[in-house]
Amino acid sequence: MTTQQLRPIVSVFPIKGKVKTIKQVPLPSVFSAPIRPDVVRFVHTNMAKNNRQAHAVSTTAGEQTSATSWGTGRAVARIPRVKGSGTGRSGQAAFGNMCRGGRMYAPKKVWRKWHRKINTNQKRYAVCSAIAATAVTPLVMSRGHRVNKLPELPLVVSDQLQSLTKTRQAVKFLKFIGAYRDVEKVIRTKKTRVGQGKYRNRRHVLRKGPMVVYARNLGIKKAFRNIPGVETASVYTLNLLKLAPGSQMGRFIIWTESAFKLLEDIYGSWEKPSKFKSGFYLPRPVMVNTDVERIIKSDQVQTVLRNRRPRSRKYGKKIQRADPYEDMSVMLKLNPYYKTKLQKQKELEEKNKEERKEIVDKSRKEYEDWLYFSEEEEEEEEEGSDEDREIEVLSDEN
Amino acid sequence: MKLLKEIQSKAFKRAEKYEKEYLDQEQKLVELKQKALKEGSFYREPEPKLAFIIRIRGIVGVPPKPRKILQLLRLRRIYSGVFIRLNKSSLRMLHFIDPYVTWGYPDVETVRALIYKRGHARVNHQRKIIDSNEMIYDKLQKYDIVCMEDLVHEIYTVGKNFKHANSFLWAFKLKPPVGGFSTVKKSFVNKGEHGNREQYINTLVKKMI
Repeated sequence: MTTQQLRPIVSVFPIKGKVKTIKQVPLPSVFSAPIRPDVVRFVHTNMAKNNRQAHAVSTTAGEQTSATSWGTGRAVARIPRVKGSGTGRSGQAAFGNMCRGGRMYAPKKVWRKWHRKINTNQKRYAVCSAIAATAVTPLVMSRGHRVNKLPELPLVVSDQLQSLTKTRQAVKFLKFIGAYRDVEKVIRTKKTRVGQGKYRNRRHVLRKGPMVVYARNLGIKKAFRNIPGVETASVYTLNLLKLAPGSQMGRFIIWTESAFKLLEDIYGSWEKPSKFKSGFYLPRPVMVNTDVERIIKSDQVQTVLRNRRPRSRKYGKKIQRADPYEDMSVMLKLNPYYKTKLQKQKELEEKNKEERKEIVDKSRKEYEDWLYFSEEEEEEEEEGSDEDREIEVLSDEN
Repeated sequence: MKLLKEIQSKAFKRAEKYEKEYLDQEQKLVELKQKALKEGSFYREPEPKLAFIIRIRGIVGVPPKPRKILQLLRLRRIYSGVFIRLNKSSLRMLHFIDPYVTWGYPDVETVRALIYKRGHARVNHQRKIIDSNEMIYDKLQKYDIVCMEDLVHEIYTVGKNFKHANSFLWAFKLKPPVGGFSTVKKSFVNKGEHGNREQYINTLVKKMI
């Protein structure tokens, strides 16, 4: 019902030989269920809590002393202190969560609520969304699966797959169909777990590879069991935690033909209820047609709209105006004389420049004249002085 | 349309007249000074009639009296500026708000730059940028102020209708000065920033406009 990558007909591929369509089957209605990541996230976070094991702190932890407070007047804090003497422990603080060797704050209890109830319909909604997402290639790719070499998504394969018994056969099939790249990714990225889980029997971390969904187990479970990353599941009991690991939709699923066909019966459609889940119809999307732009522009909507009201300029549309000192047109609007003023200023400047030049030239000439003239005078004066001296010498001798 | 044409032609003529007037004023001042120098005496310039005040302190922790005076002068926020006519009363007011403002005597170019670039009019209790002489004509026609140059002239020379011209203008909102202040806590005289800085207000406004 949603306008997504709808493939009303899906090809079925063989498990060996040549990768080509041997049959075509219609796409079950589940794949058109609304894809709701919010529902999936909610259901997943709560469902994931359901396989937790209770843990708690010992009830007696930190309480196994007969410590009493010393009261006031002893220049120590009023925390209960261990009685007795003769050991380092005596007089030490006890019981408090702040004390060394004391009980923790709010000691954990086993009767903490570990599991969560989720409404059945919500669970089913989430599973339908998750299954629909497995057919959307961008979602599967964004989950991180290597699906470039696949002939088609959703990948449906002949029922012969269900009769495989050997792992070797299973691997051969995966390589044949182009799904082995995803498995290779898993093998390549096997790592030691970060954190303390590594010495709590959870040493390695693996990615999720393809999931193989079958209708009847005729050996397929064992065949795929030992391939890293690959999971098998019966189509009757599809688990959201496997369909959307980490509440991230778009698991890469390989369907067997009968499993694929059974989806129509198991999840029903919008007209026919599910055969296995009593009273269950597929969830309806909030919007049937999500192309909002097209809806708004359609004739049915446009003809019913009222006329557009004229924009009122009453309330403060800011009239932007450029800086008059940068934009001459704005300046002239405010002061029409401005251009003339600039011209006049320029003329005045040039006139002053010329006048100034004249004055400077004149004074420079005067200076040079004076300089030249004064040099001549100096020379004359020098000669005169020599003669005078000579005459005086002569007179002394006489 | 016709009205705008009339206004613009008036604006042209008056702008011309004012340019001449300002130049004459300058020259006259120079002549009088030179004359006095020749005679061996001094020329005492007329005391300034116009000041431009800029508020340079924020609104936190201002005592009531300066706070009220700043409000009366429309200096309600930091880096806001107003023109004020200088007389005994206003000088007394300035004395009280000295630590919160800096003020001085603007020259023609400063007054022009402020009104052209940052001049907003008070129209219908709204602050609107002056983008046409029509705005000025509508409000101040009865005081014979019809264009920007008229407004500048009225403010600069503190004419008869200075009060109306000044109240037509919204308080100027200036930017913090390029290059910053030294210290607002000290007075200008003490190498700080507040108080009377006479003609140096012009350089400051250039940095803040």
